[in-house]
Amino acid sequence: MIRLTVNDVEHTLDVEGDTPLLWVVRDVLGLKGSKFGCGAGLCGACTMHLNGQPIRTCIMPLSAVAGQNITTIEGLSPANASVQQLTPVQQAWLELNVPQCGYCQSGQIMAATALLASNPNPSDADIDNAMSGNICRCGTYPRIRSAIHKAAGMMSAGSHPQAARNGELFSEVTLPQATNSEELSHG
Amino acid sequence: MDKSLNSGLSRRSFLKASALSSGGLLLSVALPGCAAIGMKNQGMVSAGEWQSNAWLRIDTDNRITFILDRVEMGQGTYTGLVTLLAEELEVDPALVQVEFAGVGSAYDNPLYKLQITGGSTSVASSFKRIRLAGASAREMLKQAAAQVWALENTSTLHCDNGQVIHSSGKTLSYGELASIAATFSVPEDTALKSPDEYRYIGKYNKRLDALQKVTGQAVYGIDVELPGMLYAVISRAPAFGGTVKTLDSSAAKAASGVVDVFPLEAAGRSGVAVVGRSYWQARKAQQLLQIEWQTPEVAPSSDAIFAQYTRDLDNEDGEQVRDDGDFDAAAEQAASTLTAEYQLPYLAHATLEPQNCVVKADADGMEVWAPTQSASMARVAAGKHSRYSLDDIVIHTTWIGGGFGRRILQDYVAECAVIADRLQKPVKLIWSREEDTAHDWYRPASLHRLQATINADGKASGWQHRIAHPKVFEWFVGDAAPAQYPFMPKFMFPMLASAGKLGEGILAPKDSSGYEGANDVPYALDNIDVRFIHSEPGVPVGYWRSVGFSHNGFVTESFIDELAHQQKQDPLNFRLELLAQHPRAQSLLRRVAQLADWGRPLPGCHQGVAIHKSFNTWVAQIADVQVEGKNFSVKRVVCAVDCGQAVNPDMIRAQMEGGINFALTAALYGNITLKDGAVQQSNFHDYNMLRMPEAPQIVVDIADNQYDPTGVGEPGVPPLAPAVANALFAATGQRLRRLPLQLA
Ligand code: FES
Ligand code: FES
Repeated sequence: MIRLTVNDVEHTLDVEGDTPLLWVVRDVLGLKGSKFGCGAGLCGACTMHLNGQPIRTCIMPLSAVAGQNITTIEGLSPANASVQQLTPVQQAWLELNVPQCGYCQSGQIMAATALLASNPNPSDADIDNAMSGNICRCGTYPRIRSAIHKAAGMMSAGSHPQAARNGELFSEVTLPQATNSEELSHG
Repeated sequence: MDKSLNSGLSRRSFLKASALSSGGLLLSVALPGCAAIGMKNQGMVSAGEWQSNAWLRIDTDNRITFILDRVEMGQGTYTGLVTLLAEELEVDPALVQVEFAGVGSAYDNPLYKLQITGGSTSVASSFKRIRLAGASAREMLKQAAAQVWALENTSTLHCDNGQVIHSSGKTLSYGELASIAATFSVPEDTALKSPDEYRYIGKYNKRLDALQKVTGQAVYGIDVELPGMLYAVISRAPAFGGTVKTLDSSAAKAASGVVDVFPLEAAGRSGVAVVGRSYWQARKAQQLLQIEWQTPEVAPSSDAIFAQYTRDLDNEDGEQVRDDGDFDAAAEQAASTLTAEYQLPYLAHATLEPQNCVVKADADGMEVWAPTQSASMARVAAGKHSRYSLDDIVIHTTWIGGGFGRRILQDYVAECAVIADRLQKPVKLIWSREEDTAHDWYRPASLHRLQATINADGKASGWQHRIAHPKVFEWFVGDAAPAQYPFMPKFMFPMLASAGKLGEGILAPKDSSGYEGANDVPYALDNIDVRFIHSEPGVPVGYWRSVGFSHNGFVTESFIDELAHQQKQDPLNFRLELLAQHPRAQSLLRRVAQLADWGRPLPGCHQGVAIHKSFNTWVAQIADVQVEGKNFSVKRVVCAVDCGQAVNPDMIRAQMEGGINFALTAALYGNITLKDGAVQQSNFHDYNMLRMPEAPQIVVDIADNQYDPTGVGEPGVPPLAPAVANALFAATGQRLRRLPLQLA
């Protein structure tokens, strides 16, 4: 029996200890938001937080995280959250229409969330560093970069994330109307 | 109102109204198909009948649902089509629910032929019909309101926000009117809005699928779960056409959680399936299999494949696919010639969601959940590989974690159908990344020989392009042909497949995948000769984002650059001069030059330009590239696109950004190689993907016009590699004629 806390819920699991955390969370706990992309720690689709740090769960045996706290994409905001209940990172992603196929985006959001928690105002180089483990085959990188800058701005607009959610953000679609998406890449 | 848009489209030929049994209105629509990727979607239906493939339903509780046969792979189809409908229906696009019609579902028409999403054509092909469907529904709702209010006609009525509004201010909601509207027939003379009346087309920039994708709620194929479901993995013969020679499965069978281990044949591949109670148990047991593979007689390596292409180019005339003027005469009279050989590799699709499928088979029939680009072909694949007849098979489509053409093929469905049919239990099959890389249907490798002639005045006079390349169609027709005739008994399938092959150019469009983007070279040279030399190395090939344009775009746009330099002309001006017949292309080139400040690169950079038309969309790009020794990085790509009327501008921008990064991955890294018939790459460490630090800044400009919309999912891809290669030439004087790009 292995104990594990996922999104603040404690579980006692009867699963072979060498099973990667990803498959335990997906198939035993039924949280499918974290994805399988490579199974080798190369793409970041499976990223979750272990005590707040981003980890590659496709290569993390369950036994190695016994007794620890895990957060998945489902743990960032309440189930069926309204836009206002989303985290600043999720809101920024939504506002800039980041997802294409969307398959990598849970992992991207988990990586970006961890980055902003440790570095509230990352430079482009910081973003390169923190996000280089997450592949997006659809090539949404320019928007991921701008969304991280945007989320950083939203978070610094108020000490509590909610403070940044003053409703104005979604009062209208604020996508770049300019044809030059340069402003996107420098937020 | 713009009446001219209606000409030639009789409403009755593609729209039908009926009442829902629960009350409410159902409008059935026949949308044109996606012929660009191979099989004709139409034309096999006898005159006077048509098959609906999209449905608008308005329920009495005001729910508006649009049921579609297209799938969403990330390209924004969902949002684009809803925007068109909502524009004429006068509702906020966000209020329209979209459902994807499977095959064999309630919305399936037994006579309907082939559903495929591909070829960048969904919005383009449906532009008028969806709007007409929305407008017709709107008019019928107005008629219903006129009846309720006992008005003579609808002239005092207008629609807004899901309501019919009378000039007096009284209103009725669409839901209240839907049942009455269903008693009218579809009006023949509804006008469409004119562009200056648009509220959403060209303006709507929300992505309707974004919320579920930022919360982890979107259900992809790999996320489908059924009670009592088992998990399967398959070891496949490493070499194409290889078979199982000996198998010792005793250790695997004894492993914990293993339910079954058995050899299987599906979709032309041999392998051994391991089925377990969990994915990890199946995966671990797979490591215990002892398999000796029988290597096939033909097991080519990359060198041998390119040697075959070389031989075929040396010896074959091939099929002439463009013949302007007299190239041979131009060559005889030429004062000099410029020749070059270009070589492109096989490429994998590497969708981030690996191939997977869930199948449930029991006494009632078979149900399939699959991230497929073609539900109708998935049904054929499931039927061919099981005891079930097509009538007993239902296909559910799911969100798709990247398509790029990979999921037009249905091998994962075939495999899972075999397994579930045998076990009579629900089964989920998951491919590993390694299996996905090694068993793809690859973008074909190709070899190109080019020759340009220069006359006595020093002017370019002729262009010859000879291409050695397989026919993608032949690898695809096995499932596609029967999907067009689902009413045929299964034993007819092989016959249909070979008839489909013979029918190329007759029953189906010609397979232009080898030469598209080459035979339509747009430059005004007097003598043009383009030839396709059919050369088949025996490696499975398929449709890869932008298909033939992906290689021919690189070749023609690099060679025209060579010619410009040979002529000592500015590459941009040289193109402009030769594009006098194509004003839209010219203005696009001027625009991209202005935005990129052509001639004044970013500090430390050099610039390269390319322009290419694919799927009826012109895209011009200028790359700013920085070289350091043998290394280089692409700092910025400026992209101008002319895709006609922009329905969702931000979606177009996203597709250009994505296409550029997809193409840059191929230009920098993409190289599938073979040894003894087996692919040598396995995971992202040896089949590299572009990552955040290498992703360039991208600037996108969309031409502002009102031509019918054309495709945007693929056309961003072809110009990128040549723009980068041309920039590298400007920087180093090295002409790189092979992909991936490598400086000496
Ligand atoms: S699936 Fe874990 S890093 Fe790719
Ligand atoms: S959005 Fe498709 S892989 Fe990132």
